[in-house]
Order: sequence, then C-alpha cells, then structure tokens
Amino acid sequence: MYKAFKILIFIWLFCLPFANHAQNDKDKIEALRVTFITKKVELTNSESEKFWPIYNEYNDKVKAIKKNLRQSYKKSSETISDKEAEELYQLDIKSKQAEVDIHKLYSEKIKTIIGAKKFIKLRIAEEEFKREIINSIKDKSD
Amino acid sequence: MKARNHIVTVLTFLSAIFLFLTKTEAQKSFDSLKLKLPKHYFKTVILIDGYSKPSQNIKLDQSMNDTTADFLSKRLKTYGVKQFVLSVNTPLATFERSTGDSGVTKNTHILLTANYMSLQPVFGGIEQHSLYKAGIGLRVIINSGKKSVWFIDASPFVTRDVPKDGNDKSKGYYRMASTIVYSYNPNDHFNWRVGITKSFLWGNRLYLPFFGVRFGRLDKVNFSLQIPRCMSLNIPVNQKLVFSVYTKPQGGMFNFSNRDSLYYLGNASTFNFTRYEINTGFRADVRLNNWFNFYVALGLSTKNNITFYSEKANKDKPRLPYSTYFYDHGMPTTGYLNFGLVLKFGKTKSYFFNRNIYDAIDLNNTVGDGDNNISNGNTQIPNAPKKTKKDVNLSSVQDLIDYNDF
Repeated sequence: MYKAFKILIFIWLFCLPFANHAQNDKDKIEALRVTFITKKVELTNSESEKFWPIYNEYNDKVKAIKKNLRQSYKKSSETISDKEAEELYQLDIKSKQAEVDIHKLYSEKIKTIIGAKKFIKLRIAEEEFKREIINSIKDKSD
Repeated sequence: MKARNHIVTVLTFLSAIFLFLTKTEAQKSFDSLKLKLPKHYFKTVILIDGYSKPSQNIKLDQSMNDTTADFLSKRLKTYGVKQFVLSVNTPLATFERSTGDSGVTKNTHILLTANYMSLQPVFGGIEQHSLYKAGIGLRVIINSGKKSVWFIDASPFVTRDVPKDGNDKSKGYYRMASTIVYSYNPNDHFNWRVGITKSFLWGNRLYLPFFGVRFGRLDKVNFSLQIPRCMSLNIPVNQKLVFSVYTKPQGGMFNFSNRDSLYYLGNASTFNFTRYEINTGFRADVRLNNWFNFYVALGLSTKNNITFYSEKANKDKPRLPYSTYFYDHGMPTTGYLNFGLVLKFGKTKSYFFNRNIYDAIDLNNTVGDGDNNISNGNTQIPNAPKKTKKDVNLSSVQDLIDYNDF
C-alpha cells in the first residue's frame, strides 16, 4: 500500500507541469459554441438526433478546408516562385469554392431536418456566438 | 387535379435532381483539395491501472467443520492483492452511411482491444505467485443513427502462473468473455440497456443478464446503474475534473501453479484460482489535456472472496457442478487504492451532442477491455461547459472568425 502511495505521488508530480496547460482551447470553444447553439435553436429530440451528426460533419469539412489553406500560406516563404504562387492562388480559389459548395449542400440537408425557421435561428446563433467571441477578444486587448 | 399532381411530381423530381447535383458538385470540389479527414470516432486509448489491497489474516471458519479448508487457511495465512493492468483500445474500421432523405447518419465501429493483467495474490504462507491474464479481443458497435446502439464484444484470454525466476510456468488456460448489449436512448437524459454477458468478474464463469439504466446526460451529472458491471454517480465539476461515487465488482479466474501442493488430492500441476470483491468508493478523474488523463480512487472492498478448484477433477466427476471448490473463503472488508493513467491518441471526427456516439463511447467504456471492469472515465465525452470562456485564445477561434467579422 505504501509503495502504491509513492507511485501515486510520483504520478502527481509528473503531471503537475501539464496541469498548467489549458486543455485544447479549440475543443473548449467548440463545446461552448454547440452549447450556445443548442440553447438558441431549441431543437426537438428527433431534430437533435439527426442534426448534430450532419452539423458536426459540416464543421469538420469546413475546418479541414480552412486549416489546409492556412497551413499552405504558412509554408510559403517570401522567396516564393511564380509557379508556387500560382499554385497557391489556385488552391485559394478552389478552397473558397469548396467552402461555398459544402455550405450549400449542408445547408440544404440541415434545412430538410430542422426547417427554414430554425435554420435562420441557427445562422443567427452562430453570428451571435461569433460576436461574443469577438467582444471577449476586444475586452482582453483593451 | 390530375395536372396539379403531375406538377408536384415534376417539381419533386427536379428538386431531387438539384440536390443530387449539388451533392456531386460539393463532393467534387471537396475531393479536389485532397484533404484527409479523421476516419474514426474513437481514439486509441492506452490505460495503465494499478490496484492494491492490504494483506489480511485469513481466519479459520469456525462454523464449518471442514478440515481441508482449515488446513489451507492455515497454510495460506494472509491474503492481499496487487494488480497491474495495461490495456489498449483502438478503432480498426468505421463504416458510415447517411441516408439523404431522412437525414439519419448510421455508423458501425470495429475496435480492437488488447489487455495484460498481472495479479499478485499475496498469500503470506506460500511462495509469491505471479498470475497473468492476457488477451486480444474484438468489439463491434452499431449505431442505428436513430435511438439505438448495439454493442458486441468478444474477449478471449489466456491465464498463466509465472514464477519470478521465469521457470516452471504453468500451462496456458484459455477462456472467453463476451457481451451483447442493446442500448436505447429515448432522449439525452435517459438511457436503458438490455443484453447478456459471459463474464468472470464475479469469480468464476457466469452467464448473466445485462441490464442498465442511466438518468442524466453523459456530459453532465448522471446516475448510471449497469448490472452486473457497475453503479455510479458521476459529477463533472468543470471540464477538467469529474468526481464519482461508485460500486463495482472486480475479480477473475486465473490459472494457479500447484507447486506448493495446495491441491493435494490430485496429481495436477495446476488448478484454478478465482477471486472477487465488491469495491465501493470515490473516484476523481483529472482530464489534463486532450491526450492525457489520470484518476485516483479509494474506498472499501467488501464481499472479498477467494476460491480454488480443479477443473480437471470436477470434469472427472460428471455429477459435480462445474464450480465445485476445494477451497472457498470469504474475507472481511478492507480498504483499497486504485489509480490509473489514460493516454489517448489520434484525431477523431466531431461528435458534439451526438447522443448515439456518446452512448457508444459510454458502452465501450462500461464494458472495459478484457473483462477487467476497469473504466477509463469516459474521457472522450467532453463535459458540458458552464459559462462562456473569457480568456479566448485567438488561435483557437481562427476557424470561426474572418477578418471581415471585426
């Protein structure tokens, strides 16, 4: 038993440095966002079970497009060649187009599940959440 | 009237074509980017668990006039437990299908489980035995996309008794634990489950009905009763900390070398050792970050029981039941300490508020790897946040906000 306690203390000491790191912030924001949306959109039980898988899938795809583009821009250096610049430009256009297409497709799917009225509520909730985030960033920088 | 019907049909047909073309177009433009999306909903989870119970004197059973039991009690003298478990749970394949019209997303998950348990029953009167149990299993979780989830698990394992010097290992003893559960989620706040489980948790092999109910959302305070696995009240304090009060059985059957000649009636080189106890205690799960958590639990271990039996001898006497023990002894209540490290790897698809995926994760966790009944604390289910985050990190919201939003 004493040995077990010693191991426990060792684990605790080992973990302390990690404790200061916030759990992945992106996930927290995502959790906050979906909680915010749930409250605002007032989904019924049956809407909820169909809506969340589709909405999560949509977000995964949009996030992947944005991340890919962001990383491609980060990789590009100041000495980028004309050819590389052209490729990056094409990727930018393709990405924006894909975002629009995905948005269109999933909007249709979501509208079928929750109806037009709640779809509008959803978009308003998303904007409101964005506004809250922007305000908290502004407050922090003031 | 007929003309109107025709118009409706044509319009429906045209809108279906429109949706199909949109879908094809969207898929094409997405595919052209050659992006890799996560395939699975489950992370690879490695669990390291340590469990310890202090040694207690084995008292002679005065009520029974059993000389064999008395003789063995005197020889064994004390009993304590030191247990170490290493288990891995990883997704192998995920099949997903969305039905366009109804908006239902069905998926099937195939997971591989592997576990290794080292058990040291501390008997003061005989040489220290190191028993181990190892197995590789498969589980299939089928999410109907509506309200139900099926869970099927097969966990074959082998147990051996390996002395410290590594010589004179006992022969491997093969067994299989399995579970089938049907889980139904009428809403987020309530769930019921029925099924059947073949388990060694209660000492020997038992075929038991599985019955479970849960009140409360999985990401908030909830009470869960999963017979015969566990009963728990789970209280998330914040996103990093979960307290639980629980009671659960713990035990198993192990191959035991007869090098101490505990089984002196026959000429067997090995026999079987079974143990079970019911642990009731408090547990704290600390979710440090996305890849690492740990937990600490302590409480009281009641209904402590150990048995020895020779399966070979029982088989030779067909009239005897399968589990006729030549030694069966109960021990008084004692304390226990349990701690564990949980490592999680891999990116997953998003499943926020996806009730059935939460349920699938909970099922995967409730029926722990390898019939050991060790829970990793549902760490893949994010606790519901209570208030808006004030200290927003810009990099964490870059997918949400564009420059034009300011």
